Amino acid sequence: MEILLSRVFAGATSGSIYVLIALCLVIVFRSSSTINFAQGEFALFTTYVTWWMTERGIHVWLAIVPAILVGFLMGAAAERWLIRPVKKRDETAVLIVALALFTGLNGLDGWIWGSDDKVFPRMLPSGEGSYITIAGARLHYDSIAIIAIMFAVVGGLTLFFNRTSMGLQMRAVAANPESAALCGVRVGRVLTLSWGLSAALSAFAGALLIPLVPPGQLGLAGMFHVLIFATAAALLGGLDSVKGAVVGGLGLGIGLALVNGYVGFLGGSMSLTVALVVIVVILLVRPTGLFGARRLERV
Amino acid sequence: MSSPKVIVRDSAIHRALIGGGVVIGIALALWGSGLAPFEQGQITRVMIYSIAIAGLNVATGYAGLLSVGHSAFFGIGAYTTGILVVKHGWGAWATIPAAFGICLVVGLLVGLPALRIRGLYLAMVTLAFAVAFPEIVGRFENLTGGAGGMTIHRTSLRPPEWTGFSLGEKGAWLFWLSVIVLALTIYVTASLTRSRYGLAMSAVRENEIAASSSGVNIAIVKTATFGLSGAITGAAGALFAMYMGSLYAEGSFTLLAGITLLIGLVIGGERTILGPIIGGLVVVYVPYYTSDIGGGQASAVLFAAVLLLVIFVAPAGVAGAINKFVARFMVVRSAPPVSTPALTESPVSDQAPTQNERQMS
Repeated sequence: MEILLSRVFAGATSGSIYVLIALCLVIVFRSSSTINFAQGEFALFTTYVTWWMTERGIHVWLAIVPAILVGFLMGAAAERWLIRPVKKRDETAVLIVALALFTGLNGLDGWIWGSDDKVFPRMLPSGEGSYITIAGARLHYDSIAIIAIMFAVVGGLTLFFNRTSMGLQMRAVAANPESAALCGVRVGRVLTLSWGLSAALSAFAGALLIPLVPPGQLGLAGMFHVLIFATAAALLGGLDSVKGAVVGGLGLGIGLALVNGYVGFLGGSMSLTVALVVIVVILLVRPTGLFGARRLERV
Repeated sequence: MSSPKVIVRDSAIHRALIGGGVVIGIALALWGSGLAPFEQGQITRVMIYSIAIAGLNVATGYAGLLSVGHSAFFGIGAYTTGILVVKHGWGAWATIPAAFGICLVVGLLVGLPALRIRGLYLAMVTLAFAVAFPEIVGRFENLTGGAGGMTIHRTSLRPPEWTGFSLGEKGAWLFWLSVIVLALTIYVTASLTRSRYGLAMSAVRENEIAASSSGVNIAIVKTATFGLSGAITGAAGALFAMYMGSLYAEGSFTLLAGITLLIGLVIGGERTILGPIIGGLVVVYVPYYTSDIGGGQASAVLFAAVLLLVIFVAPAGVAGAINKFVARFMVVRSAPPVSTPALTESPVSDQAPTQNERQMS
């Protein structure tokens, strides 16, 4: 029971991380009907910015503010000047631009900050004795904090999409760009803002998650795995559903923790392969995911 | 603008042009064989990557199945060679067909989801495949050496006796082996894409529903294309293993390697014969000449910049731009059907270029 619970806790912790990045993918997909493959690299770049500021003696919770701003500007600029011009052409061109951003940003990180791993300050309390015990299993404070933050972000986004004018405009654009434009929604501006919002959120998530995912340090390959897990989570829940991202991310996180813990022959190190299988199976069996409301075009 | 000169396919001039291309190819190969070992090694690398990109061109270029994960096929081919040479004592060159065969099977399997998954979603699957590959290699540690890597002993890569190359001339042997595999690859892809099957691939790329209603069996075309594409890239992987002599999945066959192959293809030019070769040159020489800048990271930034430039300025890539330029002076088209009297009245050369015509590449 203790082991089961502690595995569930560990899974929920990493699941919350997947939820945060999956939400970024969902925001972009809701507005542009594409997956931003460079999402992880946006997050990595801004996390390097955060790290660079902390090296200058600024507290990490303060350093994250300009990083979020940088993220917002990066996402907005990428949509406005790189994605939108090729979007008319075809889907492949958008994907290739995203992949160019992927390698370009990754190389830029290494160029500016070097390819050696950096020690990134923990943003959440941790250390000896910083846990509570539930039925014998330890639940660390940083796990509690990240789960709480995740739910706070989800709550904020839900309010944003349901209660604010900009959120409603984004949903209108996602549902039908032409009709939205006829109702006076400035579609282009909404698209730019949603990419910016997504990249800003990923800047926040990146700084939170780097100390929590292996290897626990800031390195150039830091976001590859997170991107795959987040993609699998977003697909599992349905690419256009906030609720789906939460269920998908937590489900994937806990599921992987249990699979790696209990299925011996996988050797405890096949998480990525499991994620690959999840992606393939969902696309084959139920392309809309669990909560995907919109009927996706036939994939 | 004066209308371009029309060259009829399979006419004497057309054959002479192709013959000229072959002669230039042979001359380049002879020039390469006389180079100093290091430069020759670089050329060998260019050819290996050209073969890998030519494989990707079959799926992504001709059939429109975007794959980010061809690094995994490259890796599977390389590990096939490594395992067969190290554990089973095969002659290195004999493992190329084996790598081809194994990657064909894996490619068919990966191609199966492509029956229902397209575009963005297929790219997502191949992306996950590329990320998961090093993990799978690590899982089969006793076979692949896992994270520690796998070393192929130099003497196992001795050129076969009948070639006349000594162990010290391994570089020259590998150079000629790459020339042969590259020539075969070019011949096979060029003939394939001009065949009925190649037209079917184009039809699937342009419009699946229309292709299907015209009698193209989409399922077979898609899976077979993906299988062949993976197999060619796998053969390149086998050569890569022989070239490197040591294999690290975390270093050579990551997602970034897969993206690099795709970048090479797009910069070189999709759906062209020369494109993969230009891509190979770019993929090898850009990192080489920028290795002093930014700790070797500048090449990725440069790749991205050139890629964006190509996407915005010349979507058909460098080879596509060259073809477009050549087409202003010269086009190749099939001979008009003999039994159409209406055509004899207007000379063929006065007609506007049509969709069907093939440009020299």
